Amino acid sequence: MGLDLKMPILVVDDYQTMVRIIRNLLKQLGFEDVDDANDGTAALAKLKDKKYGLVISDWNMEPMTGYELLRHVRADENLRVTPFIMVTAESKTENVIAAKKAGVNNYIVKPFNAQTLKSKIEAVCGA
Amino acid sequence: MASASARKTQSPERSHADAVVAPDGQVETGQSVNGQVDIGQIAQELTLVADYITRLKNEIGALRANELYRSRLPGAHDELGNVVSATATATNSIMASAEEILGYDDDTLEAYRERVQGKVMEIFEACSFQDITGQRITRVVEHLNQIEKRLSRFASAVNARDTDVAPDKEDAAKQTRKDVLLLHGPQDAGEGVAQSDIDALFD
Repeated sequence: MGLDLKMPILVVDDYQTMVRIIRNLLKQLGFEDVDDANDGTAALAKLKDKKYGLVISDWNMEPMTGYELLRHVRADENLRVTPFIMVTAESKTENVIAAKKAGVNNYIVKPFNAQTLKSKIEAVCGA
Repeated sequence: MASASARKTQSPERSHADAVVAPDGQVETGQSVNGQVDIGQIAQELTLVADYITRLKNEIGALRANELYRSRLPGAHDELGNVVSATATATNSIMASAEEILGYDDDTLEAYRERVQGKVMEIFEACSFQDITGQRITRVVEHLNQIEKRLSRFASAVNARDTDVAPDKEDAAKQTRKDVLLLHGPQDAGEGVAQSDIDALFD
């Protein structure tokens, strides 16, 4: 079973450059429906308005961090099953474990390439 | 006016008021072993304190604190701000060129090659930011070196010891939130765990 390239994806990052990089990588992988938000609060509002097949979120954002966004998503009856990939520049084991306990589906360390992103999306979305 | 002998035989009860804090932090009373105040010793101690204060004033002057916060620190701040801005501009320019190349759909290879070469030249031009930002960062390093030297000299000269100062409540709350919820950014080489180790946690 291949990836559903029509699946809507939400990219959450406060750095527009990073959003642009991930958008381009997703475009190269064939994904057509990609939205973005610049922090957890804006992402949560978008998640409540539209059904996304995947969230790719940075951790370090204000006022709502990616970790807080993850906890909100997992606590919401309508959103709790949404696949969630965390992307961060920091890779301490305790942070990865905390994110995993909070229900993250996968974790990518920056910088990363298209192949890493593709393999994580495949792992999370069951391709 | 009290005579010299009267001044030399003040009662022991006044000895605490006469106590002098020496530059090394020890309290000296200027009291002789038989309980009488030794004015000569007090004068010597006061001279020491005066010398210490003079030295302290000189060291504060050498610190040139006004120049640090009026020029050096804002200078470093501005340089770093410009570096962030220049890297963002260059990155956007490079990405815009790359995005245009990805979107080319020319009929002939020659036309495609010509347009790609034009964009590749723009990418090269944008990469010149590295030279400019390198020079700016060198200036920041100079500012920081100056600050480090002066603070180090001052701390050593006055035998400064760090004390815990209660932080502003608002700052403390922000710091707690940062400590608990935010990460600390990229690790230095050799720190953190590799993507493959993280992957193992999800297998």
